Amino acid sequence: MTLTGRFVLLVALGVVPIVLLGDTSTRALAVLAGWLLLALTLGSIDLALAASPRRLTLARVLPSRVRLGEEVTSELYLRNDGPRRLRGIVRDGWQPSAGAGNNRTAVTLPPGERRLVELTLVPTRRGERTASHVTVRSMGPLGLWARQATLIAPAQIRVLPPFHSRKHLPSRISRLKELDGRTSVLVRGQGTEFDSLREYVRGDDVRSIDWRATARRNDVVVRTWRPERDRRIVIVIDTGRTSAARVADEPRLDTAFEAALLLAALASRAGDRVDFLAWDRRVRARVQGASGAELLSRMVDGMALIEPELIEMDWTALPGQIRGITGQHALVVLLTPMDAPGASTGLLSVLGQLTSRHTVLVASVTDPTVAGLTRSRGTREDVYRAASAERTLLDATRVAAAVRQLGADVVTGAPDELPPALADRYIALKAAGRL
Amino acid sequence: MSAVATASPVSSTPTIRLALRRSVFWVVAGVGALLVAVIAFILTGAGGAAGPRLGADNPAPTGGMAVVEVLRQQGVTVVPVNTLDEAGDATAAAGNATLFLSDESGYLSTDQLDRLGDLAGRTVVVDPDFRALQALAPEVGFGGVSGADSLDAECPVPAAERAETISPGGKTLGLPAGTAGYTGCFPGENDTFSVIERVTDDRTVTLVADTAVFANDEIATYGNAALALNLLGATDTLVWYLPTLADVPVTGPPSLGALTPGWVTPMLLLLVGVAVTAMVWRGRRFGPLVAENLPVVVRASETMEGRARLYARGSARLRAVDAIRIGAVARMAQAAGLPRTAPLDQVIRTVAALTARPPERVHAVLVGEVPGSDAAMMALSDAIDELERATALAARPPGAGPSPTARPSTGRMEP
Repeated sequence: MTLTGRFVLLVALGVVPIVLLGDTSTRALAVLAGWLLLALTLGSIDLALAASPRRLTLARVLPSRVRLGEEVTSELYLRNDGPRRLRGIVRDGWQPSAGAGNNRTAVTLPPGERRLVELTLVPTRRGERTASHVTVRSMGPLGLWARQATLIAPAQIRVLPPFHSRKHLPSRISRLKELDGRTSVLVRGQGTEFDSLREYVRGDDVRSIDWRATARRNDVVVRTWRPERDRRIVIVIDTGRTSAARVADEPRLDTAFEAALLLAALASRAGDRVDFLAWDRRVRARVQGASGAELLSRMVDGMALIEPELIEMDWTALPGQIRGITGQHALVVLLTPMDAPGASTGLLSVLGQLTSRHTVLVASVTDPTVAGLTRSRGTREDVYRAASAERTLLDATRVAAAVRQLGADVVTGAPDELPPALADRYIALKAAGRL
Repeated sequence: MSAVATASPVSSTPTIRLALRRSVFWVVAGVGALLVAVIAFILTGAGGAAGPRLGADNPAPTGGMAVVEVLRQQGVTVVPVNTLDEAGDATAAAGNATLFLSDESGYLSTDQLDRLGDLAGRTVVVDPDFRALQALAPEVGFGGVSGADSLDAECPVPAAERAETISPGGKTLGLPAGTAGYTGCFPGENDTFSVIERVTDDRTVTLVADTAVFANDEIATYGNAALALNLLGATDTLVWYLPTLADVPVTGPPSLGALTPGWVTPMLLLLVGVAVTAMVWRGRRFGPLVAENLPVVVRASETMEGRARLYARGSARLRAVDAIRIGAVARMAQAAGLPRTAPLDQVIRTVAALTARPPERVHAVLVGEVPGSDAAMMALSDAIDELERATALAARPPGAGPSPTARPSTGRMEP
């Protein structure tokens, strides 16, 4: 039960009869008591005539997935099973980060009829967003008192990572095509394999003429080449405690997701097989054996629920995990913070094992503000901060040098630069035939 | 699209019946606690403590209920009154009555006391103040507190004779020796008496100096009871008069309460009611809160900031400057086209040659100088910065862009 502003106004209006009729204290008190009694009586009558908010049937229609940053419409159908007309307000109990805003909707439900309550959700955070209940406030015909009930009506929607870096995909794919036989670049080189024989046309490189085939066919035949295909790529994302740190107001983990998604989209276009693993001390997500659109959809689905864990990454078990995914030579991409030599000892200790079997690429997010801070030295505090920033850069450089020394490749970049940088490095590796 | 239909949804809001059933324990507990409190209140008699001194229905140690009840049992009609008018009515109705007066707060004026003296044949005044003495027994003065160990009657007043003694140590009244018409009883030193009786033509006024004679806690000691009962029980009716504020004549301008219209207080009450309803209106929550686990917000630069503050707190100037120097040397080596592994001496020589500065000076800026104060550290930092810029400027091929660091935008989309 609750009451409305109209009832407050009604009680306040009692001032008029009290002032007009209450010339003595006792009469005024009598008028006051009478007015309060009148207000309470009207309120009780109103409450008794209000429709029951419990006699409703609820049904929800909701897409199961939405990309972060996109809108989605939640549909809630209410059917009035009671004998009275329900006038009231409905609140759908979504979590704050589901982005439902001030979700109070006025409804009028005649008995036996059904109404739709639409709500636009703009989720502000990745993950599973849930609603647990629907609260209905049913006003009486006078609008003085109201009945209120909370009905259990669970719903959930999975908010997927936004994949902002897909804007880089077309340009990278066109670069990939330049490697491929579909363009006029038919040069033989590292990282290419024999594709087919075809007739010579003017403009072809004379060096690619296959003389043996030419002799057999009495026609000039050239060999065509194409980049290697069906290479294996294993993307490993570190979901340990260091991935929770925010760079440019985005957790490192989310930047790693962006980079992983762009790389996976590109590599599956290039015909390589991509496996994905999110790991700290246990497997948080694993995608194996998928390709094309299914690969990306399974990856974002798995990523949606991953949050950084407050535990240290277990690097020693990682080689075993990768061996479980593939026994062949693969490109292993490790998306992990690479800040301080102390924190990276675990990574460095297993890197030798990995580089002996695979091509390893370590990708890491760097803070773009740090480089700027080394330049501002106006005050005493600024100088100390600049010194600390230099030290931070130096530490990162040392770790990167150690990683390179162990035979792995390093890609670093600010949050918006890392995904394209990783994609470019992949294309370069592919062109160099190191996959 | 997924449709979740709930045929008859379960309500998490309890019905009124369920809410009552859930809260029944607390209701019972509250009522029980209230009952215990009320019983304890009654048993300790705390209700009487607040009553007036010598009140006819006050059972507290300073009250007068004991003597009043005994007189009632003896067949005396005791009429407690609170104003002079009521006292007048009561004495007039009884015809022959005894008037008992205890004006502890001194409410009565001289005129009222004059009127009071004429009301009844027998008047007993307890602890009279100056005005009462002036009106009823002008010759009598105050005698201070009695120092006597015992007070004996020693007078021909019958009540006092029967009492023989009363509680020693109370207030006394002074009566000059040989004053006609007065009888002093229970004498102390220097013509002081605890009870003085004045007999005029048809009226008897008895002044009792101390209230202890009639008070509940002392009535049973010495001869107090005999004195009180004999003084007060001589007639069929006893008017027990304790003056109140109602006896004070109204003077001066009317008070604020008299000037305000009658509807002000009810309106204030109504406004309180409006405030309460408004609180319920705004305070009633529209369903329960929805819980959500929020992620922690950790900025990646926090360790860097923390290290900077550690440097600042420890005034680690040399360490700070060295960090800046290492970064600057690496950048200068890159600008001058030296390999990353180039030794420091080579970098210094190259930079000195590029910028046309003495190598000793460059060495001092990049290696040698130890900052002794914050000002020296700032100056050194500026010198490093200046040297770095000069090196970048000198290493730039002539005719290149205006700045070696800022790459001009091409205005094209990135491939």
